[in-house]
Amino acid sequence: MRFFGKTSINFLGLRFRMYALSGLVILAGIVSLVVKGIDYGIDFRGGTELVLHFDRKLEVADIRNALGTIGLGNSEIKSFGGEGDLLIRTTEQAEGTVIADRIKESIARAFPQMTFEVLKQYKISPKISVELRRDAMYAIIASLVVILIYVGMRFKFIYGFGAVLALFHDVAVTLGILSLLDGVFPQLNLEISQEVIAAFLTIIGVSVNDTVVIFDRIRENLKIYRSMSLFELMNKSLNDTLSRTIITNGTVFLVLLTLLIFGGEVTRGFAFTLCVGMITGTYSTVYIASAVVIDWTNRKNKKP
Amino acid sequence: MKNQLSRLVLIAAAIILSFYFLWPTYQDYRFRQELDQRQGQDSSAYVEQNQDAILQARLKRIKLGLDLQGGMRVVLEVDLLQLLDDLARDKDDNFRTIMSEVRSDAAAAEIDVIPTFAKKFQDRGIRMSRYYGNIRDDDAAVTANLADETDKAVDRAVEIVRNRIDQYGLTEPGIQKQGGRRIIVELPGVKDEAEVRQLLQGTAKLEFLMVRDADISYKVMESIDKFLAGKGEVDTTKPAAAAKEPEKPKDALTELLGGTEPSKTDTTAEVQFLREHPFFSYVIPDDQRGTGEGYVAEKHRERVRSLLARPEVKRLMPSDFEFRWSAKTFEDRERGRFYTLHAVKPQPVLTGGVVVNAQASVNPDDNRPIVNMEMNSEGSREWARITGANVGKRIAISLDNSIFSAPTIEEKIPGGRSRITGADSPNEARLLEIVLKAGALPAPVAIIEQRTVGPSLGEDSIRSGLSATLLAFLLTVLFMVVYYSFSGFVADIALFFNVLFILGVLAGFQATLTLPGIAGIILTIGMAVDANVLIYERVREELLGGKTMRAAIDAGYSKALTAIVDSNITTFLTGLILYQFGTGPVQGFALTLMIGIIASMFSAIIITRVIFNYLSDRGISPSFG
Repeated sequence: MRFFGKTSINFLGLRFRMYALSGLVILAGIVSLVVKGIDYGIDFRGGTELVLHFDRKLEVADIRNALGTIGLGNSEIKSFGGEGDLLIRTTEQAEGTVIADRIKESIARAFPQMTFEVLKQYKISPKISVELRRDAMYAIIASLVVILIYVGMRFKFIYGFGAVLALFHDVAVTLGILSLLDGVFPQLNLEISQEVIAAFLTIIGVSVNDTVVIFDRIRENLKIYRSMSLFELMNKSLNDTLSRTIITNGTVFLVLLTLLIFGGEVTRGFAFTLCVGMITGTYSTVYIASAVVIDWTNRKNKKP
Repeated sequence: MKNQLSRLVLIAAAIILSFYFLWPTYQDYRFRQELDQRQGQDSSAYVEQNQDAILQARLKRIKLGLDLQGGMRVVLEVDLLQLLDDLARDKDDNFRTIMSEVRSDAAAAEIDVIPTFAKKFQDRGIRMSRYYGNIRDDDAAVTANLADETDKAVDRAVEIVRNRIDQYGLTEPGIQKQGGRRIIVELPGVKDEAEVRQLLQGTAKLEFLMVRDADISYKVMESIDKFLAGKGEVDTTKPAAAAKEPEKPKDALTELLGGTEPSKTDTTAEVQFLREHPFFSYVIPDDQRGTGEGYVAEKHRERVRSLLARPEVKRLMPSDFEFRWSAKTFEDRERGRFYTLHAVKPQPVLTGGVVVNAQASVNPDDNRPIVNMEMNSEGSREWARITGANVGKRIAISLDNSIFSAPTIEEKIPGGRSRITGADSPNEARLLEIVLKAGALPAPVAIIEQRTVGPSLGEDSIRSGLSATLLAFLLTVLFMVVYYSFSGFVADIALFFNVLFILGVLAGFQATLTLPGIAGIILTIGMAVDANVLIYERVREELLGGKTMRAAIDAGYSKALTAIVDSNITTFLTGLILYQFGTGPVQGFALTLMIGIIASMFSAIIITRVIFNYLSDRGISPSFG
């Protein structure tokens, strides 16, 4: 079977329009981030989070009333995955697990005839959340730097720069899309958790993987077609690897989709982030990484 | 041909090793199934029979993370400031100011405690040797010494936490030190959270304190009462102090009158009494038995605690005088639950360091749970001397600054025996026994992170994780066969071994499989075929260019190699960084991702190559779809 024969699509001819498209998407993301703010999960926000399973369905408002009796009526309360599962979260801090204990007590008091099971109970002190945020930041910066160095070393510096710019693009676009879609679908929880940060780093890893494959082809073609212009050569390399790009990214996308649909509540945000990242990662290889190399080289060649 | 043979040996070794490492996991699974089927007597006989094998299998199986099997993860932080406070001698106001400054700094952000502490002294031009070490030591020597002391203290805390957990009896607990002063405790399958918390957090600082004479205690209470009664007027003349706590007197009134705020002209007896005796309104002195104790209703405890903590109130007490709270409340039929305030000498006459053994038991007199303690010889001598010299006086037994009991010494106690009464249940007595045996923590610890995952959420996660993995695997396998026909099938064989290798390596390294780890395996399944896709696309190109099958395969493998290696190294590097910065479950993801990358390169390049070589040696021409 074969999806693509020999193609000669002028990918890079479209690059200026695509710059505009990328800019637009990123801008929309930034606007959304400014308006909605970053929806941090419990890890990065600190506080107490409880997921309780009740033996029958309860109204969020009833729980809110119960929590009102201990002054936690403004907690975040929402349904979580299965029927009768509720997530309660507050940034209120107290020593040890006092807050969680109080929440459980108040609910037991308000609904004496109901039994509930604690599915999950997290307590993160603000100190830890600040550290986790810092570590996540460091991790992303460190991986970008490492990639800049490795790709710059294996190819040329400008290639490394293009690859890293593409990664910046991927992180920005994905973050923006997460922010835009957060809260839109009730079953899709898109807050920034540790798992989502792991997804971002994976996007970085997978996206650069794609970029490196194409750069490798360009490197090879540069040796064979010495007289070809860089623009043509890059287009040819992109066409040469098109089939591989689609097949590989297609299979990865496919497995991520199964994880998204069948992987359960806990990994959903993670899988969704990766799905978005796969799309932008594939796109950015062509329209950011390669395009930047072309425009940079062209500019340098124009100067005497 | 020699090449082919060495590749075969390599593959066989990898497969055998993987099976070898995975065998205990399979065995563990079998044992569990077997045990599920058997009932009661039968099952315990089975366990006895196969004890060693079951234990071995359990130890060597792939470990499941807390997010998959349920359990509790706690991060404790040792309170170094308290430790520094305890180590200091001749503490004065300067010292206390510095201490409280550093404490508020530390609460706001993560700081290096000792350098910050030392700097505060330098800024004020105070030599640290006034409080620590030898008087001739310079600051550098004192700080170095303190750093050493605190290091040792944290290590000791880790050791004690480990002791306590071992004695509590949990399977596969994980305890490790993180950074300078943190302890990570992972407890799979824990059910009673509150109990574990008690186990971890109690410092177990045991002290024997002399109880102060009743008349001194009353005098102190009276002077506090008088002071507070006069304070209302003082407050109005001092706007700064009034602005600080303007609400408090009103609060107290409202609280006492059950929420309705009294008008200024309200002169009911209660309000009148509260105005005249603010302290005795909350603390009822024991004037019947003459113990010098004060009783505080449960609901007023926090209020009295904050009253007593005020520096101006503290100044009213003699230097060798302190109020300590009882650990437990007692019930008064009419007026509810009460705490007892004991007046004690804060300098202990004996500490828990001398306790060598503890044993939970039941008091034969009243059938209440008690904990019997035994002391070492030095402690016994001292205990005999103290009790001998103080017959008729009362001695308070304080654990973590709460008084458990304050019995009257009837006679001299030889042989170093003592007991703690006042535990509510045999279970509590058992916990006390454990913490006393394991020893006192050198400083209090705070829970700064706690994550509990219930077993049912873990089961759900395993189920959905496994089904997603299986589905992802099947879809990928199917797709490869459809798209690349026979060579797709070859890639699928490699993919199968790839998953086997990942699991084998996980088991071999005794790594922990987490839910994100499963996600990592799923992602690897998708990404693993990339190497084969790269090779096959290359082979197709070479075939189009007119090469023979054998030549096309050779060219495909060699030309695709740089792309495969370079692209995988970059992904591997991000995995490495993720492992470095991530915590718990995320590290599990990074780990499976990294293992997956290496395994996929091995299986996609070497295993498929061997198969293609084998085929072409026999003149069979595989189809690339």
